[in-house]
Amino acid sequence: MTDYALTLHEVCGPQPLDAVSLALLPGEIIGIIGPAGAGKTTLLKVAAGLVRPGRGTVWRSGAAGYAPEAPVFPPALTVREVLGYYARFHAIGAMRRVLVHDALEIAGLAPIANARAAALGRVDLQRLALAQASLGGRQVLLLDETLSGLDPLARRDLCTRVAHLVATGVAVLLAARDLSALERLASRVLVLRAGRVVRAGSVAALLAERVLEVFLDHPPPEPPPGFRVTAAGLEAPLAGRTPEAALALCRAHRLAVRASRVRVKSLEEIVLDAHDASR
Amino acid sequence: MHFLRCVFAEWALVRPRLVRTRFGLCLLLLGVALVWLGHHGADPLAVALHAGALGSVVGAAFAIGSAADRAALVIALGHPTTPLAVATGRWLAAVLPAAGLAVACSLAVGWQTPSAVAGLVAASAVAGCALTAVLLAGSGAALALFICMALAGAVPPEAFVSIADPGAVRVAVASALELGPALWRYREVATGSAGAVLHAAAWAALGIVLASGLVRRRGGARAP
Repeated sequence: MTDYALTLHEVCGPQPLDAVSLALLPGEIIGIIGPAGAGKTTLLKVAAGLVRPGRGTVWRSGAAGYAPEAPVFPPALTVREVLGYYARFHAIGAMRRVLVHDALEIAGLAPIANARAAALGRVDLQRLALAQASLGGRQVLLLDETLSGLDPLARRDLCTRVAHLVATGVAVLLAARDLSALERLASRVLVLRAGRVVRAGSVAALLAERVLEVFLDHPPPEPPPGFRVTAAGLEAPLAGRTPEAALALCRAHRLAVRASRVRVKSLEEIVLDAHDASR
Repeated sequence: MHFLRCVFAEWALVRPRLVRTRFGLCLLLLGVALVWLGHHGADPLAVALHAGALGSVVGAAFAIGSAADRAALVIALGHPTTPLAVATGRWLAAVLPAAGLAVACSLAVGWQTPSAVAGLVAASAVAGCALTAVLLAGSGAALALFICMALAGAVPPEAFVSIADPGAVRVAVASALELGPALWRYREVATGSAGAVLHAAAWAALGIVLASGLVRRRGGARAP
């Protein structure tokens, strides 16, 4: 039997969650994507045990660390004191100091360990959120937009730190608006819409989906079946058919094809397609 | 044992707050004002009671009154602690500096053990009430409670009820003074009244239980 780090089975409620199931393996990152109000934060809170599910079951192999979307820390404390405060819940004495030291190292906070929490910028707040979530050697991390809204350098650094944790067997459930971080990190993604999983799959498989772009002199009044009109002409997913077959369909509709190219779908397009298809 | 460790974690936040926020300065100014009053006619018992009560209102405001401190509870509850431990620790964080202030003020105006004990009892009762009020409505509630305690806290309810033709407001104020952690009642601690001590203990316990419920609500209902 597979030893999962976290499983959710048919979790319904609180709103808007509706029959969400997932299974997270140790050393795996699952990305949660969806528009605002899709239920990403609620799903993470349910997985963390902070919110009770209306129906369904949640199982964790151990305690889960939770980093909220907009983390707030006691403003009068320094970064080291904040981590020391949380570490007191896990251990005492020398062990507590070790936990604080490890958490500072994990998130790269050692240089600003004596800075006040009230003075931290967004990047350092997200680092501190990651540090406290990983305190105590937690094997499941639930990160709510921890990698979103950061500059590219900070995002790359945090992605590397998360990847290091995952390499040690930590499982991560990561909600993200920033899909580039997910493309880099996640092995699987779930697309949520109105509390339901409308698309799920491995990132490698999803990013292997190809699209045929057809450039036309004049946009057609009516696109051929399976195509949609774009600013430059038409495009269609190549789901199981060849580019030649798709182009032949264009010619059959008497469209003057100027040029064409095949490209892979971005994660953003996959999310938008899933969102549109589930309407 | 784990519960006590979690309570201690909350209480340990007092030192940085005393040093780095206006908490220490507020307590110092309050102490100076009360000692000045003690040297200008206020009796030592009134000084100790006000030091304990007002000190614990200030303590509750700085322990959890700011929006950031209340928002930070969400992350704390993601760790292996409980709302009851958080509430108990924050209650201690409000009571102990106030108790220190009551003892210091008693020393400064002429030590009387019964007065100092009454101050400690008042601090524990008012801290329970203040903690709940502050969790419900923030620092504004602490300011309102501070003013009420300073102006009317020591007035017995009979003073309001005996006014001819009392209106609903007067009855409400008298009831609040009768049931709430008002200082007129804790004066009796100095004379050895067990009822007054029990009243204070009940308020402290009620305050911690209500505060833990509010803390739980802030973090979301934790799954079993």
